[in-house]
Amino acid sequence: MAAVATCGSGAGTTGSAVATASKSNVTSFQRRGPRASGTNDSGPRLVSIAGTRPSVRNGQLLVSTGLPALDQLLGGGLAIGTVLLIEEDKYNIYSPLLFKCFLAEGIVNGHTLLVASAKEDPANILQELPAPLLDDNSKKEFDEDVYNHKTPESNIKMKIAWRYQLLPKMEIGPVSSRFGHYYDASKRIPQELIEASNWHGFFLPEKISSTLKVEPCSLTPGYIKLLQFIQNIIYEEGFDGSNPQKKQRNVLRIGIQNLGSPLWGDDICCAENGSNSHSLTKFLYVLRGLLRTSLSACIITMPTHLIQNKTIIARVTNLSDTVIGLESFIGSERETNPLYKDYHGLIHIRQIPRLNNLICDESDVKDLAFKLKRKLFTIERLHLPPDLSDTVSRSSKQDLAESTKRLGPGCGMMAGGKKHLDF
Amino acid sequence: MLDSLLSLGGLVLLRDSVEWEGRSLLKALVKKSALCGEQVHILGCEVSEEEFREGFDSDINNRLVYHDFFRDPLNWSKTEEALPGGPLGALRAICKRTDPGPVTIALDSLSWLLLHLPCTTLCQALHAVSHQDACPGDSSPVGKVSVLGLLHEELHGPGPVGALSSLAQTEVTLGGTKGQASAHILCRRPRQRPTDQTQWFSILPDFSLDLQEGPSVESQPYSDPHIPPVDPTTHLTFNLHLSKKEREAKDSLILPFQFSSEKQQALLRPRPGQATSHIFYEPDAYDDLDQEDPDDDLDI
Repeated sequence: MAAVATCGSGAGTTGSAVATASKSNVTSFQRRGPRASGTNDSGPRLVSIAGTRPSVRNGQLLVSTGLPALDQLLGGGLAIGTVLLIEEDKYNIYSPLLFKCFLAEGIVNGHTLLVASAKEDPANILQELPAPLLDDNSKKEFDEDVYNHKTPESNIKMKIAWRYQLLPKMEIGPVSSRFGHYYDASKRIPQELIEASNWHGFFLPEKISSTLKVEPCSLTPGYIKLLQFIQNIIYEEGFDGSNPQKKQRNVLRIGIQNLGSPLWGDDICCAENGSNSHSLTKFLYVLRGLLRTSLSACIITMPTHLIQNKTIIARVTNLSDTVIGLESFIGSERETNPLYKDYHGLIHIRQIPRLNNLICDESDVKDLAFKLKRKLFTIERLHLPPDLSDTVSRSSKQDLAESTKRLGPGCGMMAGGKKHLDF
Repeated sequence: MLDSLLSLGGLVLLRDSVEWEGRSLLKALVKKSALCGEQVHILGCEVSEEEFREGFDSDINNRLVYHDFFRDPLNWSKTEEALPGGPLGALRAICKRTDPGPVTIALDSLSWLLLHLPCTTLCQALHAVSHQDACPGDSSPVGKVSVLGLLHEELHGPGPVGALSSLAQTEVTLGGTKGQASAHILCRRPRQRPTDQTQWFSILPDFSLDLQEGPSVESQPYSDPHIPPVDPTTHLTFNLHLSKKEREAKDSLILPFQFSSEKQQALLRPRPGQATSHIFYEPDAYDDLDQEDPDDDLDI
């Protein structure tokens, strides 16, 4: 009787109780398996989307940035829902390459792309993506690219410490075929990959008519249009879970080029105290809100060397999650400095986010340099000679470079007394 | 390279200053492109039309299409010939033309436009004009558009100048020494390193360009004159140099952990998945390779 009563009451309440009763199990513990009913999963199940993997440190879902070396520096990859800001180098030669590697990684993994630019048509940007080096050919080409460069000189150098020849210049984690690919900068991506991918483009001159009257609003009209476009795509394609996706869940990769330049209608590069100086910061705030509530990751390149007001750069850095600065040696005095002759520029990692965490994943390498060889873009640790001057402080790398220049005459000049090496 | 500035297309920025004025170079380039048979449009904002046309021959003057914004910049006289939309409207109207030849547009000057228009609007308009040939659209293939802009550097802060130079394909900065003018040309091609070059020139009275070699430049002392380059090994009490025989002896010395080239090749060849480890042993001269167990002699 009692059993019948519980069955009856159970039928009215939850489905699991009915299931328990019908199964006639001894125990009421039930294994939580894949639900065949088709309702959206509410349990803490690991989402398995192509091209993503959970971080080993804090469980965040990560996507690759397109450069395995950069992934390593950022703690495994770029977390979904965050913004990667790249501060462009002065002549804008290397930052488009990082931008394109990010997009190419999205195409190779089958993610949806959203490309926004005020300078170039997104279709043209997609045509110029680098070709991926897939399967074993990639590792072979990468290795021979490295070894061809290194072995003749290192044979001469390393007669005694020959075991160090094998030490890689930069620790690169295992590159599986599903996360992180190498790209060949000299070749273009095959056309069929672009056509098979799902992408949306936002080209500002097409979306805004030239004689638009600027309303007294806090956001530049270009930014408003872009935010609306992104929001529409996220909502329509279900990246925020609003429309239940029938197909496999996917990640949206957003790429915004040259944000903050005058071509977007923003005058922070032109004047110190413009009329809309908060426009960019508000844009980033709203963008980050959109990203946090959807399965998307965003890369933004920004010409920060043109921004006149330095406080805006500080605010922009705080409003982004991961910030990387590129500094190329072209045109500066470091181009002829023999210390930097192998490299094309420096990479500064300015900020790494703390996501659901108290500490962030800093790598212990702080001096990083990059070079663009014919095919590959590599990031390596920069080794500077030790500072042998009397002062112990190592304030900047420029001081180090200058002290090595002075080391030669300093050794012999005992009477000069500036630098004194005692044996 | 100064004479092939216009062949690259895009925005060419002429930065001049009070000491080295750029309008004569602008007029020389305009004359050169007019003689090449290109269409030349001039947006004259800073000087009057008579002053701009002064010095040109009549056939060149007939080829120039002059849009005058000096006499009546705000269109107060409301005549029919004034173009609607101001200078930017004139720029867009030039772009909407249908004939396919190459076009040169000379802006005299960009400084005037920067002072009267917001910088962002000007940048967007210049970008749209100079990149028009990139996007095909549905119109007939339009020829290359070159925009020559004269910018007076001293009138503007670093912001607008930086913004315009990041948009420009070529940037020519005028300078010079001792009465000789020079142009420092910085060429930014889209995916390549920027190239720069300095060219000495002078403008003849009929506005043709005369390229010259620079004046004799006394060599600048590159090293710091206070510290003469001193060889640090001269006054030491020990010898740091190696004679040739000593160097040969050093190279032929066999180090205790020296390995043969086979071992080196085997180690350096990347091996996928080492399951076993190998021990490489090279017997020394004093080694006794006796397989017998020495403990056999013991009698226990």
